Amino acid sequence: MCLNHSWRMSFLSKSLFFALVVSTCSVVFEAGAAAAPIKDRQESIWDQGKLIATGGVTQIEGAGGSGLTTWALITGYGTERGIGVNAHHTFVALDDFKLNSTGVAVGFFDRLELSATRQWFDTGTAGARLGLGEDFTFGQDIWGAKLRLLGDAIYAQNSWMPQVAVGVQYKNADKEAVLEALGAARADDLDFYVTATKAVLKHSLIITTTARLTRANQFGLLGFGSADTARSLQFEGSLAYMLRRNLILGADYRSKPDNLAFADEGDAAALYLAYFPNKNFSVTFAAVDLGDIALQGKQRGFYVSLQAGF
Amino acid sequence: MFHFKPGSRIPLAAALAVAMLSTATAAADTLYEQMGGMEAMERIAARTIDLSAADPRIADEFRLVKLRRVKEKLALQFCELTGGPCKYDGDPMKPLHKPMKLTTADFNALVEAAQQAMREENISFRLQNKLIAILAPLHKEIVTVK
Repeated sequence: MCLNHSWRMSFLSKSLFFALVVSTCSVVFEAGAAAAPIKDRQESIWDQGKLIATGGVTQIEGAGGSGLTTWALITGYGTERGIGVNAHHTFVALDDFKLNSTGVAVGFFDRLELSATRQWFDTGTAGARLGLGEDFTFGQDIWGAKLRLLGDAIYAQNSWMPQVAVGVQYKNADKEAVLEALGAARADDLDFYVTATKAVLKHSLIITTTARLTRANQFGLLGFGSADTARSLQFEGSLAYMLRRNLILGADYRSKPDNLAFADEGDAAALYLAYFPNKNFSVTFAAVDLGDIALQGKQRGFYVSLQAGF
Repeated sequence: MFHFKPGSRIPLAAALAVAMLSTATAAADTLYEQMGGMEAMERIAARTIDLSAADPRIADEFRLVKLRRVKEKLALQFCELTGGPCKYDGDPMKPLHKPMKLTTADFNALVEAAQQAMREENISFRLQNKLIAILAPLHKEIVTVK
């Protein structure tokens, strides 16, 4: 239908897309016809026009990035004239816990990214030790928005200026009564972040640093804050080396607040390998260390994330 | 040089630093020489254009041009940009591409063709990225439809 025709439009009219898809399509169609394009090449809104791997993968909270770090790149393969969609499932097996995460992220015109993710954190036998019952499962929903503000990570290779984006994640955790019993102040909250990414192609590197304002306990799975905790500034860093066109070796580090009185919370790190057989599919394997969780000592393990998109 | 005791664990950051250094130490020769000189440039340019002219995404842009001339000029451009002894004497990028109304997806289709041409020439991915890094800023001059 309107998803597969030649169209020329400004950023402003692109923005209309979010508000009213159907009417925007008709407006666009007329604009395209009126402009009498020199060529009549078909252009799809699902243009898949980015270079492979430059959409990154999906980070733990469902945003475009690497394992633990939120990148400034907009997820998917849509260019500034297209839309890219990604679905992911991530499975993390730790010493005492299992984490599953499923979500969808959409990149609009290489400008705005919206994501929705559901996480399940299974406490296994540790649940019994903590008095919660075996296999007691914490969970949360995460709604994310990321807006690219300035800079260009990929094409501006003659400049050090990174691509910069800001984002917000609304996290809503289950089991409010249990979270309060553990000492968390609340079961839902907002994280705010600013992130900068630069591909340094001459060294085959992609570098990201992110500053996050948060009071999430274990990403939010154990609620937010404690008695009177304000948000604190936390750091995420990612260094990715492109081994091949479709293979990336990377390392992530992420600091986390330590709010809850009953247990220490440590920083998290991951070493990962992401493989992109084509633009529709990628798989990430990682070794992770999520630090101390809920009195069960350091939680190390592995991470597998599958991602499919168009 | 770095030396690690046998059996000692190399921290990840150090491993990545070594990977970075190894990309930097080979900078003695120009990229032009590392990629194989003018003959390699000519083959890569010719293959890039042939692949592009056969790519349904951008084939239209090559329908009315003399492919031989485009290949020659692209080889000259590759040569000059990689530090070889050439001077690009073709049309300036901006006015040349403006009437084509090219998008980022079009630009990337050509980049993908160049990457495939370099793979076929057995250019390492590390060197491929060095050329792409030089070509990437041309995006600003070539892509007019955003």
